[in-house]
Amino acid sequence: MGNLTKAEPSILHNLAIHAPENTPQWSNVRGKNLKALNSTAFPHRKIEEWRFTDLKPIERTEFVPLSEAGVLPATDIEKYFIPESDRSRLVFINGRFQEKYSSIGGLGKGVTVGNLNANASHETVSSYFDKLVNYEEDVFTMFNGVMFEDGAFIHLEKGAKAEAPIQVLNLYTDASKPFVATPRMLVVAEEESDVTIIEDHIGLSENRYLTIPVCEVKTKKGAHIHHVRIQRDSINALHVSRPIAYVEKNAEYHSYTITLGAKLSRNEPRVVQEDEEVNFTLDGLVLIDGEQIADTHSVMDHRFSHANSHQLHKVVVNGSAHSIFNGKIFVRRDAQKIDSFQENRNLLLSIDGLVNTKPQLEIFADDVLCSHGATIGQLDPEEVFYLQSRGMTEEKAKEVLTYAFALETIENVKVESVHKLLIEEVYRYTKANSVEKVTA
Amino acid sequence: MSETKALETMIGEEYKYGFTTDVEYEDFPKGINEDVVRLISEKKDEPEWMTEFRLKAYRAWTEMEEPTWFNATYEKPKFDTLQYYSAPKNKPKLNSLDEVDPNIRETYEKLGIPLEEQKMLSGVAVDAVFDSVSIFTTFKEKLAEAGVIFCSISEAVKDHPELVKKYMGSVVPVRDNFYAALNSAVFSDGSFCYVPKDTICPMELSTYFRINNMNSGQFERTLIIAEENSHVSYLEGCTAPMYDEHQLHAAVVELIALDNAEIKYSTIQNWYSGDEEGRGGIYNFVTKRGACRGKNSKISWTQLETGSAVTLKYPSVILQGDNSVGEFFSVAVTNKRQQADTGTKMIHIGKNTKSTIISKGISAGRSDNSYRGQVKISKKADNARNYSQCDSMLIGQTCGAHTFPYIESANPTGKIEHEATTSRVGEDQIFYLQQRGISEDDAISLIVNGFCKEVLKELPMEFAVEANKLLGIKLEGSVG
Amino acid sequence: MRHTNKSFLKQKLNQKETIVLELKNLHAEVEGEGIEILKGVNLKVNKGEIHAIMGPNGSGKSTLAKVVAGHPEYEVTGGDIIYNGESILEMDPDERAHAGVFLAFQYPVEVPGVTNTTLLRESYNTIAASRGREELDPLEFDDYIREKLDLVEMNPDFLERSVNAGFSGGEKKRNEIFQMAVLQPTLSLLDETDSGLDIDALRVVSDGINKLHGEEDAIVLITHYQRLLNYIIPDFVHVMIGGKIVKSGGKELAFELEEKGYDWLESLAKVNGEAK
Repeated sequence: MGNLTKAEPSILHNLAIHAPENTPQWSNVRGKNLKALNSTAFPHRKIEEWRFTDLKPIERTEFVPLSEAGVLPATDIEKYFIPESDRSRLVFINGRFQEKYSSIGGLGKGVTVGNLNANASHETVSSYFDKLVNYEEDVFTMFNGVMFEDGAFIHLEKGAKAEAPIQVLNLYTDASKPFVATPRMLVVAEEESDVTIIEDHIGLSENRYLTIPVCEVKTKKGAHIHHVRIQRDSINALHVSRPIAYVEKNAEYHSYTITLGAKLSRNEPRVVQEDEEVNFTLDGLVLIDGEQIADTHSVMDHRFSHANSHQLHKVVVNGSAHSIFNGKIFVRRDAQKIDSFQENRNLLLSIDGLVNTKPQLEIFADDVLCSHGATIGQLDPEEVFYLQSRGMTEEKAKEVLTYAFALETIENVKVESVHKLLIEEVYRYTKANSVEKVTA
Repeated sequence: MSETKALETMIGEEYKYGFTTDVEYEDFPKGINEDVVRLISEKKDEPEWMTEFRLKAYRAWTEMEEPTWFNATYEKPKFDTLQYYSAPKNKPKLNSLDEVDPNIRETYEKLGIPLEEQKMLSGVAVDAVFDSVSIFTTFKEKLAEAGVIFCSISEAVKDHPELVKKYMGSVVPVRDNFYAALNSAVFSDGSFCYVPKDTICPMELSTYFRINNMNSGQFERTLIIAEENSHVSYLEGCTAPMYDEHQLHAAVVELIALDNAEIKYSTIQNWYSGDEEGRGGIYNFVTKRGACRGKNSKISWTQLETGSAVTLKYPSVILQGDNSVGEFFSVAVTNKRQQADTGTKMIHIGKNTKSTIISKGISAGRSDNSYRGQVKISKKADNARNYSQCDSMLIGQTCGAHTFPYIESANPTGKIEHEATTSRVGEDQIFYLQQRGISEDDAISLIVNGFCKEVLKELPMEFAVEANKLLGIKLEGSVG
Repeated sequence: MRHTNKSFLKQKLNQKETIVLELKNLHAEVEGEGIEILKGVNLKVNKGEIHAIMGPNGSGKSTLAKVVAGHPEYEVTGGDIIYNGESILEMDPDERAHAGVFLAFQYPVEVPGVTNTTLLRESYNTIAASRGREELDPLEFDDYIREKLDLVEMNPDFLERSVNAGFSGGEKKRNEIFQMAVLQPTLSLLDETDSGLDIDALRVVSDGINKLHGEEDAIVLITHYQRLLNYIIPDFVHVMIGGKIVKSGGKELAFELEEKGYDWLESLAKVNGEAK
């Protein structure tokens, strides 16, 4: 694509000179990424992948380097704790690790829950950290690779089953000026291990910040990972996330991403099949309103035979919000007996909302069963009428149906308190939007 | 796998139309510049406004870049060495069939398109385009009785300048895209059709395109206008000889349907597709677009794409009139090294507009077959509806099938449904049919035919036979 | 061995005329997997006869039907299949169909976009051509199949539907018998035709089969349950276990099986197997 910097260096290029200096263990990683960053241009809308998403809000913000993590009252932090994870929690504020609030080592032998800086010499970290990232000419991952302060490290030894879900809590505080956070995660589940991870991003006020979480996941033979990702950034935040997971033989990786916050979010989940007989899920729920722009570009990369994969991406758009979805399903040559299904359902509630979707199948093997379906529309008038005939007001009927529409996506979230929390979020969204909805 | 082989032989059958016709050509310089554009205009004895149109397009083209966004790789055409105009020496415009070069007449006979009216399928009028010029148009008088104008675009420029001026470039502006701009600058000939108000065109209209000259590109231009309450069905067929060099075909087709008018446009595209190694074959870079300008108007595209080395083609409908309808039915078969990136655009602007897309892609050999489509519901298109179904079938393991649908809605009362599947010819299906006495080849034919059925049934009867031959498929229910 | 005796030859000739199917120590395995499923099946079926092959799940009875019809998934590794006096091992499935072999599938296959009429006309005419019967034009054919429809009490609408696509289990099974009626095979292999049928449908299908059966054809019924044999009375019953026919008898064998279950014969099979 010849994406070398011809243009002006972007704000990210400029900020990259402020890389953390107190972590010699990462100097190689930072150096490599800085080199790459300096020869890569900031993307623009003429590039197909960015066709519908304007990054000017990022380019035009005067971000400043943040020297301190920021101090928060304990209650502000603790209210986001999920009770199931009292023995297994990692807390980060603006990308910096908070040992005081974290709970490590509580899951016993075989399960490592910690921060990357402290585990830099861990064999697994040296084998995988920053090596699983695979985004083409992507300034965001490179920038993260230069700037990350610390990160979450989760490792399960062979056969280890985490008895409790692990919460990775990312909080973003109010700072006087817009700042950039670069959270990082590395999850390696060795053979036959099993873990559930709740990754949460929460903005504590309405300020502008840019967060670029990069997450690397390795699911080894027979391992199972459930990965719930909740994005509740501030209403003025910018969020660009890069979660990538590799799945080995007989392994399962199931991910559920719930997008609620941020002014502009760009989420690029990827799953790469590394051997036969795998099973993966890449579900998403997007609830947006106002001026929000939520963009999901996903990749499900089938490289070997015998995979079952599933993606349900549901979107509700209200106000002047704009949703973008591009779901790529690749089936490489010789990857036979693939059963892959993608479904993208968009509910467009308002006259000013906009939905762009591009489901994309790229198939190079003949013995596969791949399909996708995409719909954009409003609530089914028949269903609204049915509920009205049972005595509900039109407004109430629409609220109920929107709620039901959104709920399907979170049914697979098995951690009780998180499930409850998500139901509340869905409820809050549908409730808050129930008045405007009548416009259609 | 034996089924693969059988299907490959079926759809990869020797190209039957690859012969060349020995014709003496007028001299014409190679390459392109303003003088060449003027020369084309001069050769065609065009009025000043037409020359200006061409020059404007040419200037626009020189500022444009060749597109690269599609899913195909090929050696770019050499615009400097291409010949932009190619006319057999034995012309002038013919009024009697006797004056047509006997070699050319024979060519059309061989292609199964006899130019004698009595030999033709009754009910089909043909405009025969050979390289850059329209050779002969049949049934002109009969159509004139009904008020329908059907002639070459060159004649239309002279005889109906007000219509051409008004509509040419109104659906596909000269700056629309790289190849449309090039076409607008150098288009040589093509068909023109005007159906007046309250008229149902009494017969099927058809153009048969033939590229014969090895070094020439073909840039034809088609313009069809259906006035209020009129109806026309138009068919288009294409073949070319086998050469080792690639040939460029960059046509522009514009359709305009006014209130309550209906245009049905069908194509069987069987340009030479190149050999096993990808040598030769046509680059088919065509801009086809229809505008449903009037209320309740309807434009329907049906295409059976089997030829060409590289196809980039997206017959589209702009649904401006309220309650207008756009349809796209497509079967695209690729084999050997063919690359097809084809689909449609349905742009909903008017209220209560409806569109349907049915696309069937079959890939075999080492080919790549892509569906690329856009469905857009604009802010004001209340109650717009789209349904799309894009199915792919892969045969063998060295080909690819791709689906790139772009879907956009800015209106909450609009509704878009898109489905896509990928499958293959199942071994169990073949065995089942074989057990019923049907040979393996025929079994595959039947299955492929079944796969394409929703599209094939949209082809006019006159084309169904050719479609049948092309796919090597015994068409079902050919009687009744 | 020496058989110069004239009466023996005569007898052999007669026999050749009446034997429709003969399986000689037939061994077959799944192509490429080396798992033997048929382990030496012997069977003789004469014209005018109905044979029932019964057996528990996994005994190889469905495989037997598929192997006779020439399914490419199976490889014959030993023995022979003699049909009308000739080995058909080298014949493609369609050639076997031309010769009059018909398989009613346990799981009839869906062929979207191809109507029943199209399939049957295509099928009827290719078979007719190879058997020297007259081919029918679409109009004649239409008349011909409509009368066959009544035999299985099917609605004519069904002719214009895609082959088996969206059919219920019962409809698919009826469709198989309808096809049998249209194609008039010499040897019909009916694989679990009764499964998935309710009692009314079972009666209709059985009546149809009984009407179709005559002196010139033979039927091999493959079934797990004795139920079907209340409607179609077999001349012979064979029990297949572990890829072999372990017991043959008259129709009363079916009742005995129903009463005693397959365990009874499974132990028998074991004993025989060990004795060898």
